[in-house]
Amino acid sequence: MEKVQAFQTRSLSEGIVAFAQFARSHGMNIGVQETQDALMAADAGLLKERTFFRAALKSIFCHAPEEMLVFDRLFSLFWDTNPIDLNGRKGKSTIQGSFNKKSTASVVMLGVGQTGAQEEEAKNVSGANAAERLKKTDLSLLNTMEAAELDEIARKLFRQMVVRMRRRMKQDLKSGRINLRRTIRKSLSTGGEPVDLFYRMQTPRKQRLIVLLDVSGSMDKYSFFLLRFICTLKEHFRQLEAFVFSTSLKRITKALQLQHLDEVLKQVGTEADNWSSGTKIGECLQEFTEKYGKRMLNGSPLVLVLSDGLDTGDITLLGKSLQHIHRRAKRVIWLNPLKGMKDYQPLARGMQAALPSIDDFSSAHNLESLLELEKILMHAG
Amino acid sequence: MKQAVDLKHPSALVSFLSEHKYVADEDLATSLYLLLKLNKPLLLEGPPGVGKTEAALVLSQFLGTNLIRLQCYEGLDVNAAVYEWNYQKQLLGIRMQEGSDKSAAEKEKIIFSDDYLLKRPLLQAITQADKAPVLLIDELDRSDEEFEAFLLELLSAFQITIPELGTIKAVQKPYVILTSNRTRELSDALKRRCLYHWIDYPGLEKEMSIVRRRLPGVENNLLEQVVDYVQRFRSMKLAKTPGVSETIDWAESLMALGYREVNRQAMQQTAGSILKSAEDISLALAMVNEED
Repeated sequence: MEKVQAFQTRSLSEGIVAFAQFARSHGMNIGVQETQDALMAADAGLLKERTFFRAALKSIFCHAPEEMLVFDRLFSLFWDTNPIDLNGRKGKSTIQGSFNKKSTASVVMLGVGQTGAQEEEAKNVSGANAAERLKKTDLSLLNTMEAAELDEIARKLFRQMVVRMRRRMKQDLKSGRINLRRTIRKSLSTGGEPVDLFYRMQTPRKQRLIVLLDVSGSMDKYSFFLLRFICTLKEHFRQLEAFVFSTSLKRITKALQLQHLDEVLKQVGTEADNWSSGTKIGECLQEFTEKYGKRMLNGSPLVLVLSDGLDTGDITLLGKSLQHIHRRAKRVIWLNPLKGMKDYQPLARGMQAALPSIDDFSSAHNLESLLELEKILMHAG
Repeated sequence: MKQAVDLKHPSALVSFLSEHKYVADEDLATSLYLLLKLNKPLLLEGPPGVGKTEAALVLSQFLGTNLIRLQCYEGLDVNAAVYEWNYQKQLLGIRMQEGSDKSAAEKEKIIFSDDYLLKRPLLQAITQADKAPVLLIDELDRSDEEFEAFLLELLSAFQITIPELGTIKAVQKPYVILTSNRTRELSDALKRRCLYHWIDYPGLEKEMSIVRRRLPGVENNLLEQVVDYVQRFRSMKLAKTPGVSETIDWAESLMALGYREVNRQAMQQTAGSILKSAEDISLALAMVNEED
């Protein structure tokens, strides 16, 4: 599309329409409706002062705080460009949108991109189309581009999953049987008419979920997606507690809202580097039961451990603490990325010690395997 | 309605709002102005405690109309948001009609008439006859996706269908303000039907003027210290970042206890009104102690 700028338009309406196109060409989500609104806003007398004109267009064109920064830049680029400055670089004015690109940065940071040698292998996976192929690709074998792409797909699929889980919970609610006795007893006050129906099953409590994510060196290729996955789970399990561990335990529940994801990753990333001296799963689990056990391990929650089980600490401690957790939890689910490998046997010492206390042992090496967790969670809940 | 017609420029709104103890910048005023002029819903997003709900309240004062509020929560459904039949009254109605010689169809018509309808906020908002109300749909991010989808219909057509009564069209289109804390992303479809404004934590100057507007008796020295501390708290990694309403609370409690400056003792006694978790309070106290 030929990019027109303010000085090239003849009337203000034309200018506004051109600006809408300009913004759209830079990735903002602006349709006919928005353009029309902008014209109406101009009509409503918001043209005389720059601040108000700008604020009005902002209010109409932006849909998220991230977009506002981009908007500000686009606005001044479009309306303030002086034709004299443009000599020699006509039509080349570009702007880097900052939204939607953050995630790529963190992928690079976490070292997902440093897999030059293995790229080939990932590309050779046979499959229907690119998206399907990506879904099946082992997360540690992605290059930067693919990681960003997969991130997009993952966000969509995780979201759908959460919506599905919620819907199922809704249907469950209706299936409670009528408590006949109570209904009849209460109907006395209305002369025998059963006005209020009482159900046998009370509204089921939402299942609580505790997530323990291993962020040690051996896991760091996976941590980004697993963390994103946990973020999405938070939308379904409002009562979700999340921890990361390698040689020590850290609670990340508070920071775990989607908008802070990058921050969490950065923090986890730097700390993981410092801690690369091995993983002490047993000690971390013990720390968890000691510090948080009383508060969180009651009312039989689901416990989800995401780790490869490569423990360098005390193995008996691992077995013991997991057993302790298992006794108080409804179900202990262990997702191990290594399980995706062909011929994998849980031979690692850590895994051996943990197995007796695990209800569901499953893989988490690619997107598809993560999505399968839905089934386990639905059954457990 | 009348004020809305007289309104010529957003700056009129700014001054009205500030008379009513609400400090708004041009951006927010412009968004509100567009809400009135284009009659589109306005989505206000921002962290808790920055005055999103308050904005709706002041707008209703400006228009001289009432505010109808719908607080969203998980599991909010049509029965709680739109309408419900008054079953008890209907049963009584049936009993009372038992002796009469009306036909069954007539009886049914009476039972499903306006008298037996409980109007919930959304229905109230579109059936209000005299003056378009301000409809505040608060914390929309807490409701479920299904409810959000239902809202789409209401916000574009401003009508509600009740099977027994037929379709009810809005008498006066209400002015709709939606708020969200962004605990989850709202759907694109909904966002595109709305104007959008992001309210962030105010800067030092603005926050001081907000507190001063609310607490005219506050001394400058105390005010400066309070706001300065709050701004620093926000830059720390706290479990719960304090909002503007907490700042006001804090300044108020300091005044009530007769403090004229924030010292260690004052902080110890009043920390609970600004910080809401034990860890945060101990962090803050550590900070004050360090400075002493």
